[in-house]
Formats: sequence, structure tokens, C-alpha cells
Amino acid sequence: MRMPSVRIAKERVRNLLVTDRLQCTPGTADDLSRDIYRAVSKYIEIKPECFQVHITRSDIHIKYTGEKH
Amino acid sequence: MGEVIVITSGKGGVGKTTTTANIGIGLSLAGKKTIVIDTDLGLRNLDVVMGLENRIVYNLVDVISGGCRLKQALIRDQRYPELYLLPSAQTKDKSSISPEQMRKLLSEIKDEFDYILIDCPAGIEQGFKNAIAGAERSIVVTTPEVSAIRDADRIIGLLETSGIQKNELLINRIRVDMVRRGDMMTVEDVTEILAIDLLGVIPDDEQVVIATNQGEAVVGTDSLSGEAYERICRRILGEKVDIPDVCCPEGFLDRIKHLFSGK
Repeated sequence: MRMPSVRIAKERVRNLLVTDRLQCTPGTADDLSRDIYRAVSKYIEIKPECFQVHITRSDIHIKYTGEKH
Repeated sequence: MGEVIVITSGKGGVGKTTTTANIGIGLSLAGKKTIVIDTDLGLRNLDVVMGLENRIVYNLVDVISGGCRLKQALIRDQRYPELYLLPSAQTKDKSSISPEQMRKLLSEIKDEFDYILIDCPAGIEQGFKNAIAGAERSIVVTTPEVSAIRDADRIIGLLETSGIQKNELLINRIRVDMVRRGDMMTVEDVTEILAIDLLGVIPDDEQVVIATNQGEAVVGTDSLSGEAYERICRRILGEKVDIPDVCCPEGFLDRIKHLFSGK
């Protein structure tokens, strides 16, 4: 079965918007997320899978879910 | 005091001019005194879409440069007594007017109309800056395609930076069959990505092409696109009108069919 083209379109548009919003090259957003993760992890105990950076037109949101028992 | 709404998109060919014409006509049919202004200098189109291309004597640049009075340049349409068109110039370039001049013109005419709709040219250069100067509200037109959404996001950013806070999305040319088989982004996908309020959805409808061929509008006619534009006009007028889920009706039937066939 062919993969619905919408999934590819959404991924492409999301990547484009991040690079447009930051006015950077495609890899830069990932580098930024990694650096933010490193900075945050110095102060808060987090796991990569519980950490998310979301870039909007005017804000950079850092989302993390605290430790779970 | 009239409200100035700019219709913009970034990308060309997504339906700005058709949207301006149909919303302008729809608002005038609702009894609102409405003026539509074409700001695409050098590539005049709004008059053609409205079937008024043979009536032009003066244009926007003539009005702004003082070559004529506004009343001399305005084109009336017998079919819509409350509608006025201020056409663009076909021979001038984008630098013949400035944002400051646009702002001045709009402040002078604001009291005379209920709605002032500005048809913005494609791009983010001088023409865009002219078109958004003096606007207090925008309608961002996009289609469910990667390039159109990308440009819409850029435009929304520029509108927000320019201090225009009320920016609403119009998603044009949705094809239900393609959405259903996963080959076109849904209304929810596009709205979520662009993160602004949704004003309305226009289905891809061949009636738009047929009407435009003849210099007519779809709004006010018995067609899917016409009804969608009418709902958008009512929403602009402040009515609470649901945005029907374009993919829902048949999806529901499909579910019932599946229920009966046991699949």
C-alpha cells in the first residue's frame, strides 16, 4: 500500500515553517533543540523522550513532563 | 465607521481575487455598503473577475495622485447597488504609491462605507506593504498545499509584526475525495499548523471557474462554493455560523453503510 501523501506533506510543511520562523538552515532547529535540552538538563532532571521544543511564529515553547513513578 | 479588511496570501493563484469579489458581493447583498479595492498595480484582475473590465476610466493611482476624484474612479455594478469597485492601474508599477498614501486614502473614505476590502497582490514586497497599510483585519487565503501554507505562515508573521492582530484563515479549494483518501491535508491539519482562527472553507468547485469565465460571482447562487462564501460573509457580519465539516456528511453515510454490510 502506498503511504498517504498527506503525511509527507505535513512533515515537509512543519520543517519548512521551523526554518522559516527561525530564518535558519534545516539542521539548525535540531541543534537548537539539542542545546536547549542540554541547558535545561543541567538544572532539571529530564529524559530526552519527555522533552520537547516547539517553535511558533513568536515563541519557543519548552515542554517537559516531570519524573514519573 | 467602516472596517478595512485586507485579503492576502503570499502565494499567487490561491484565490485572493475571487475571494475579494465574492465576499464583497456577498456583503453588498446583505445590504452593506462595500468597496473593493484592487491594489495589484500592473496586474489588474479584480475588475475582470467581476466582469467590469470595460467600465474602467480612472484607477487607484489616479485617485492617489490627485488625477481624479474618488467618485470619478468608482465603478458601480447594476446587479449590486451597494457595491463599488476601485480598480488598479494596469500600466503603473508597485512604487507609484506608498503605504502612507494608502493609509491617507483609507482614512478619508472610511466613513462612507461599511466595509472596505483590499485585494492584495502576491508576494511580500512593496505591493503587500501598500495593501496592508491601513487595514485593521485580514483574511489569509491558502490552499491545502505545502507551498501555499508555507507562504501563509510567512504572511501571518508579517501581519502580526505590522500590528494587525485580527487575522483569520480561509482555506480554499478543499477536495473532499482527496482528503478522504489521505492525499490532501484536512481543514484541521492546516488550521493546526498555521494556528490562527478559521474564517471558512471553500470546496474546490467547478462553478467558480464557470462563473469567473462569465465575470460573475458564485455567492448568491445555488452552489457549494457560493453557499460557503455566504456563510463566510455572515461570519464577517458577526453572526455565529457553523463551519460545516466538509468531509463529514459522506463519512457518516459510509459508516452507516459499513454498519449494514458488517464490514
